[in-house]
Amino acid sequence: MITAEQKPMDEIRDMIAPYKKILTVGCASCVAECAAGGEKETGALASALRMACKMAGDEKIIHEKTLDRQCVKDFVIQLDEVIKDYDAILSLGCGAGVQAVAEMYNEIPVIPALNTEFLGETRDQGLWIENCLGCGDCMLYTFGGVCPLARCSKQLMNGPCGGSQDGRCEVDPDVPCAWQNIIDRLSSFKALDRLDTIYPPKDWSKKRGAGPRKIVREDQKR
Amino acid sequence: MKKELTRTLAIFYCQNVPESGEEVRQSLEKRYGKSIRLFPMPCSGRIDIVHLLRALEEFADSVYVITCPEGSCKYLEGNKRIKKRIERAKSIIESIGIEKERLNLITPVSGDDKVSLASYADEVMEGATKLTPSPVFKKAAHGAGKTKRK
Repeated sequence: MITAEQKPMDEIRDMIAPYKKILTVGCASCVAECAAGGEKETGALASALRMACKMAGDEKIIHEKTLDRQCVKDFVIQLDEVIKDYDAILSLGCGAGVQAVAEMYNEIPVIPALNTEFLGETRDQGLWIENCLGCGDCMLYTFGGVCPLARCSKQLMNGPCGGSQDGRCEVDPDVPCAWQNIIDRLSSFKALDRLDTIYPPKDWSKKRGAGPRKIVREDQKR
Repeated sequence: MKKELTRTLAIFYCQNVPESGEEVRQSLEKRYGKSIRLFPMPCSGRIDIVHLLRALEEFADSVYVITCPEGSCKYLEGNKRIKKRIERAKSIIESIGIEKERLNLITPVSGDDKVSLASYADEVMEGATKLTPSPVFKKAAHGAGKTKRK
């Protein structure tokens, strides 16, 4: 899922300062899972902003609404009925959600309330870890289900580097050595021979280096 | 006898706090009138940051959460969770200029597991006499006028 964190309150207040009627829009998908932009967080942010405005004598109207998904037009369309009442949207969606809303409502500014962070896994309650870079050429089969690009601090395709100690990364001992994990996992299902090959560096020119990516599926189209 | 104060307190409490039934709630409301708003919860772990902020936004000068005693949560860790949520809520209100002391947690220690809701409420209400009004309801500096409580 996509992870995010709320921007500092001062930054949000600066961005909404010019507007009087603001709709705070949450997203009940990924950013709800990482407790950054779901219904509860949207309510809390709207409440905090209303209090801040009251104390400053700034008569803003701040309402809130949470969509099931901000990155899907079919859900964003729910804003059609209410959008005319506001002069700005404060979005608690990820970067994709903010842009999907902005794309649909050209005439109104859409302000991001979150910093989108990474593609990650909920490892534990309150702990999200980055484990996918979205490279577009998944090699998790080769590396036994552990991505060295996302999880090795040095992004080595042919590791280990030799610097890890007791299974911890030498760059950051809080991080488990991805290559230790790769070798342990491949060993456990007797597939260590997958590392006999020397893997060339990632060819980013066909992926991220080729500009914004898109997926087209004819069978899914209207 | 009614002891109405000039401040308003919100008290969220776990229904496992001793003697916290409906009759006790009604008698506390009778005693303190509009100065107290009581919110019985099946578990303090059900209380979220948004509930605490809403109370401060709409009517409360201060908010208290009274949990069941440590180690006796029926849902295992509800009273631990609310502790962390209150810390987070405190950082939010501080970031907008409200004193963090307006959010408070009372977790009875295991020896105090016979102390009733009324005793805690009386103690909290006594402290409220020294409480300054919330800046949310003060007259705004730029002429917006005094904000009404809901």
